[in-house]
Amino acid sequence: MSKSNTQTGISAPTFWEQYRRKPLGMVGLSIVAVYVFVAIFAPFLTPYNPKQILLADRIAAPIWFRSVLPKYDDAPSTVRITLGPDEWAVSEATGGKLVAEELEGTAVSVIEFEPVLKDEDVSEGEAGLLEIEEYPEEPEKSVVELSHVVSYNCSPPKTFGLTFNYWVDASSDSKTELEFVIETPEGKQYNLWGKSCSGTLGSQPARIDSRDLTLKQRLGLTIFDDPAPRVFSSKGDYRLLLTARSIPGEEPTRVYISNAEFYIPGNVHGLLGADHMGADLWTQLIYGTRISLSIGLSAAGISVAVGTAVGIICGYLGGVVDEFMMRVVDVLMAIPTLPILIILGAILGKSVWNIVLLISAFAWMGTARLVRSQTLSLRERVFVESAKASGASDAYVMLIHILPNVLPLVFAGMVLRIPAAILTEASLSFLGLGDPRVATWGRMLHNARGFGAFTTLAWWWLVPPGLAITFLSLAFVFIGNTVNEILNPRYRERS
Amino acid sequence: MGFSRYLLRRLGYAVIVLFVIMTFNFAIFRLMPGDATKMIIDPMFTPEAIAELKRQFGLDDPPLVQYFKYVGNLFKFDLGLSFSTRRPVVNELKERLPNTAVLFLASFTLTTIIGISVGVYTASKRGTFGDNFVTGAGLFAFAVPSFWIQLLLLMLFGYYIPILPIHGTMSAPPPDGFLLQFLDRIHHLILPAGSNVIVAFGSWALYTRNTMLEALGQDYIVTARAKGLPENTVLRHHALRSVLPPIVTLIFGALPGMVSGAVITETIFSWHGVGKYLMDAVMQQDYPAAQGAFYLIALAVVICNLAADIVYGIVDPRIRVGEGGAK
Repeated sequence: MSKSNTQTGISAPTFWEQYRRKPLGMVGLSIVAVYVFVAIFAPFLTPYNPKQILLADRIAAPIWFRSVLPKYDDAPSTVRITLGPDEWAVSEATGGKLVAEELEGTAVSVIEFEPVLKDEDVSEGEAGLLEIEEYPEEPEKSVVELSHVVSYNCSPPKTFGLTFNYWVDASSDSKTELEFVIETPEGKQYNLWGKSCSGTLGSQPARIDSRDLTLKQRLGLTIFDDPAPRVFSSKGDYRLLLTARSIPGEEPTRVYISNAEFYIPGNVHGLLGADHMGADLWTQLIYGTRISLSIGLSAAGISVAVGTAVGIICGYLGGVVDEFMMRVVDVLMAIPTLPILIILGAILGKSVWNIVLLISAFAWMGTARLVRSQTLSLRERVFVESAKASGASDAYVMLIHILPNVLPLVFAGMVLRIPAAILTEASLSFLGLGDPRVATWGRMLHNARGFGAFTTLAWWWLVPPGLAITFLSLAFVFIGNTVNEILNPRYRERS
Repeated sequence: MGFSRYLLRRLGYAVIVLFVIMTFNFAIFRLMPGDATKMIIDPMFTPEAIAELKRQFGLDDPPLVQYFKYVGNLFKFDLGLSFSTRRPVVNELKERLPNTAVLFLASFTLTTIIGISVGVYTASKRGTFGDNFVTGAGLFAFAVPSFWIQLLLLMLFGYYIPILPIHGTMSAPPPDGFLLQFLDRIHHLILPAGSNVIVAFGSWALYTRNTMLEALGQDYIVTARAKGLPENTVLRHHALRSVLPPIVTLIFGALPGMVSGAVITETIFSWHGVGKYLMDAVMQQDYPAAQGAFYLIALAVVICNLAADIVYGIVDPRIRVGEGGAK
């Protein structure tokens, strides 16, 4: 019944029939489809997650710069190797061996040294006393050398590092030494770290960082020298050597070494490079799609829904309600939007939900005015009069007769409101008022500005988020204008 | 008679808006989660010191008294003391207002002049490259994040080709001589104002073009052309005159948005103005300062709106009788 009453009624198939003939509309739809695809399948489009840091050096360039810009010809990409018992090769072993052990689910390399008194040297005497047949003349140093070969084929890196935990289980009369050395392809050895202890030692972290002052001193460099370019000065196979020496005691000496992380941060990384924390920019970009789309759609949806409700109620009921609400609309429209969003955003706290609500709270007034004026003219129509005459309630008339007739107008308005919401969110995030827990395009630009994109001339950090916003906004503008053309031909000039 | 009543109504309405903003300003300071005084009051202080501080910042009265005092102070342009500098907010704003005004006027004048001329020009050349360019520029202005364009320009002209200053309103030790100082300020103004123009002129041009085209289709234009008047005369004396009222309205209507946008522009270019002051105050949780800056910006917007209403009433006599259109 209501169908025949609608003036601008257009069925979905007819609408689509018309829509698909508009090239711009179809372009917009395809762009949005791509964004939606990226948003849904973000985890499958990147090997990282947006919170992973230290994937590369700070502000690393995109990896494809290597093949485009001579400056990046053989810029180092990230080398990250986890060295467990399977990765270590034993290159030398006297009086000890490498054993793999499982501790709390992770494999641990254990270097086990035989005790100074071997079992076979001790036999049980007749009186039940232990008899020692032969003492070694002098405690001999046992050595186990673990090695791993890393092939490095890039220009010298800026830094490198190695981290692992170690602990020693031994009798108190033993002595243990640990040492980490990198051997260059030319055979030059850099002794980077060493530690000695007697007896048992609790778990200790070993942090070898090429920027470390003590490391520079150890290598005889000044604080202004960089060890990394010296050590990795040439291309070829480097040997990482972890050596354990022990003067064992009466019990076996066991040196535990947790999985070691060897890391050379790359100057080039991924599709779009890395940010100041070494997080992947491509990952942030595609995860940002999710936030922008959801904020844009929900803020536009909420504000248009509120605006439509207010507009219909005011237009239909009129009187005091109308007068009051329209004054509220006037006042809200006169308040400068961005400054008030900044203040409220800072006070209410930085969360995605707050941002959606705030954007909606200051974006419904336009729709309310438009819908109200439309309702005013619909109210006088014959079909509304006859519905009222046949005893329909106000709520019924508004829902069944007015609402369907304002929907076409509202729908196009909503599509056009999405890019506005996306831009507002981006501005707020850019100003540092976005949700710090999620990656958004505005936040990427905020970081780029605050953490050195300018001084490092990292345009690849600055350009992609803005392009992403622009294309998405354009797509919605195309769609909105096309929808308007079809549903509201009279309003074509306005948009 | 009609016009003065219209004016009076608009004026009353502006006052209401100001009151709402004042009340809002007052309320957010008191209603926000946590205690605003924590920012200024160290728990180590003696009770006397706390009482004295509260008195200084007017926090020891009952809320209603505070509200009336607050409103009364606003009329005297007393915006309280800044939490972070302990100086009167109004003095700090006074220092910054000229900077904001300069940036605003420069951006605004250039945008309108360039936007309207481009719009008028392309309206007379339908279907040419220039015409398409304006349509593109209008779309661009709508879809592109303006702060992003500003960032790109800043990187290009401040860092890649470092020919323009990257922040501030003038060089740190200002050059000697009035002329050099003036040029130095202009030099600092180029990037912020220029980027504002680039971002905004497209929508002006598009709007002007569309209004012009509409006007050019009118009967009296056809008549003028039929009379054999030169195209230039038709454009300037017939078409432009009839499209001026809507464009003037648009000019004033766009002022509030430009005032709001100053916050971002000033933040990006570290422009020592009211917008950046607001941003800094919000970041430092300096609520009196934030309130003061917001009040000033809101006041500017209300005045712009009022000016728009007045101009609208002057250029469009119909407005004096009934209420205006949707926008």
